[in-house]
Amino acid sequence: MPEPIADLSYRGYSGEHLSEKRRWLVVAKMAWRNAFKKRAFWVFSVFACWYYLVMIAFFYVIEQVGIARGSDVVTQLFGSISWKDQFLTGFTYSQIVWLSLGLLVGAGSIANDNGTNALLVYLSKPVRKVDYLLGKWAGLFLPLLVGMAVPTLFFYLYGVVNFREYGFVSQDSYLLVKVLAMILGAACFQASLILGVSSLFNQGRMAGAAYAACFFLLTFFSNLMWIAFLVAEGGRRGHRNGPLSEIASRLYYLSIDGLQIGWAKVVLGTDGSPPFGMPSRTPQIPAPPLLLALIPILLVSAGGMFLAWRRVRAVEVVK
Amino acid sequence: MGTVASIQNLTVQYGNFVALRDFSVEIPEGCVGLLGPNGAGKTTLIKTLLGFVDPAAGGGTVLGREIGKHDLQIRQNVGYLPEQDCHIPGLSAVEYVAYAGELGGLPTNQALRRAHEVLEHCGLGEARYRPVETYSTGMKQRIKLAQALVHGPQLLLLDEPTNGLDPLGREEMIKLVRSISHDKGVNVLVSSHLLPDIERTCDQVIVLFNGELRAQGLIEDLKRVDGHPMVVELREPNSEFARSAAQVGLNLIGPHGTGFLFEGLDRPEETATALFKAARLSGAQIRRLDLAERSLEDAFLEAVHA
Repeated sequence: MPEPIADLSYRGYSGEHLSEKRRWLVVAKMAWRNAFKKRAFWVFSVFACWYYLVMIAFFYVIEQVGIARGSDVVTQLFGSISWKDQFLTGFTYSQIVWLSLGLLVGAGSIANDNGTNALLVYLSKPVRKVDYLLGKWAGLFLPLLVGMAVPTLFFYLYGVVNFREYGFVSQDSYLLVKVLAMILGAACFQASLILGVSSLFNQGRMAGAAYAACFFLLTFFSNLMWIAFLVAEGGRRGHRNGPLSEIASRLYYLSIDGLQIGWAKVVLGTDGSPPFGMPSRTPQIPAPPLLLALIPILLVSAGGMFLAWRRVRAVEVVK
Repeated sequence: MGTVASIQNLTVQYGNFVALRDFSVEIPEGCVGLLGPNGAGKTTLIKTLLGFVDPAAGGGTVLGREIGKHDLQIRQNVGYLPEQDCHIPGLSAVEYVAYAGELGGLPTNQALRRAHEVLEHCGLGEARYRPVETYSTGMKQRIKLAQALVHGPQLLLLDEPTNGLDPLGREEMIKLVRSISHDKGVNVLVSSHLLPDIERTCDQVIVLFNGELRAQGLIEDLKRVDGHPMVVELREPNSEFARSAAQVGLNLIGPHGTGFLFEGLDRPEETATALFKAARLSGAQIRRLDLAERSLEDAFLEAVHA
């Protein structure tokens, strides 16, 4: 006769308990599980590879054409490519995907808990506010990091295998470290900011809408600054307006994606270059000084976490 | 009987509003009702016990641990059923309760095992794989109880557990709470303004009003009327009975339901003996003889308006 799967009567529990120091991990594990089981998460992560895939296809065609014609154009082109700039461009062009990933896994992380009074469940258990926030932060940080790492590491591995002879590794021995630092910093920043925004709302979709609105408004401002910079630089004619160019190039970074791009430029040590290493006279906005990139990122991240800290309380939402 | 919580001179304020004023109480073991009208400070007291609010003055202990200093250890041994609807979105019932168990410190496999047990005990065995969002109000109350129980607490704090339930759901919840407290040995503090619910689940009550303690004790003690008056019901109407009672020295207070209410003598036993004597004299048959008691509602109103 088969045994029942469980004793049906309630009994007290006198078994072992996990350490209180690991409660944040319980919260984080649940967030990871929820994020990674979303099909859209993996779709976005793969979609974030689009720039690298286009670049690989482009290089393949160039290589094949070069080989067919027997010219050394391929060697000249590939030899002149700055590989770290390709990572910067890939990272920049995928900002919209990072935004989507952030909204997908993070917008509701605290907002939905606010809306369903779940904070009462968390905080009535032996879980401190710091455990809850750390768990939620880690639960957002890791999926964002994975989402960013999938395309970046994919191209890095592809480059190591296929473009080694064109200086992919020798150009910058610390390229992998720099690329990892770039995505680590960006994931930290986004996780903190999204958590802060999420804590302000009682519905994930409202938090997501607010975050997306901020993102697009600030990106619009950044694009205006980019145009101002191009105008100040005199376009291709070279009539340069120094002060305006300086101001525009600094203000360009005052947006959610701008701060991350600034951080990426500082970490990679480049101002960037046109896509696919194509020759162009279009000026690039220079990388900000290290402190100017780091301080706003740290301030905004700390601000997000401070908001979340203030908002997370064991109070009931009466519907 | 020991105490599960002890509060001394507790004052809790929300801005200028004083929710609990110089409040002291010893909460005994067993099933205790926390009675009071809306705004009396019941929920504030529960939140103070859980360490959710910082007292302006005073303090206390829960299960021997000091509030404010050992909140994590307190919450390790306490389960809480909030008044409002609450759940963790996106999870099925068994995932939710197992997660609550893990948050309570259980290893993953133990949390899952106990989630199944507790859901079965709370009558949600059949619906355990359904998302909690699809549950009815009654089921949501039950799952709140399940998540409060899963980590095996010694003390359960139930804030309006029958809130929003239909009569059948209310009946089932009362039975469940009573079974947990009386059969499973879990101490329970039930906050409610519904007196019949408290009367049916609890043995003792604490009455709060305007943030102050107004009464505390066994329900039967609170319902007892001074002077031991007794209620007598006869098998058949007998006009001689009242006269015979007067002959043996008993004062008739008046009719009481289908019987009579007599003023008590010095001791209840003397009153009973006199009543049997009156029955013998008048040839009446006593069907029921009981100490008169007031309703819990009367006791509550007296405590509140004192």
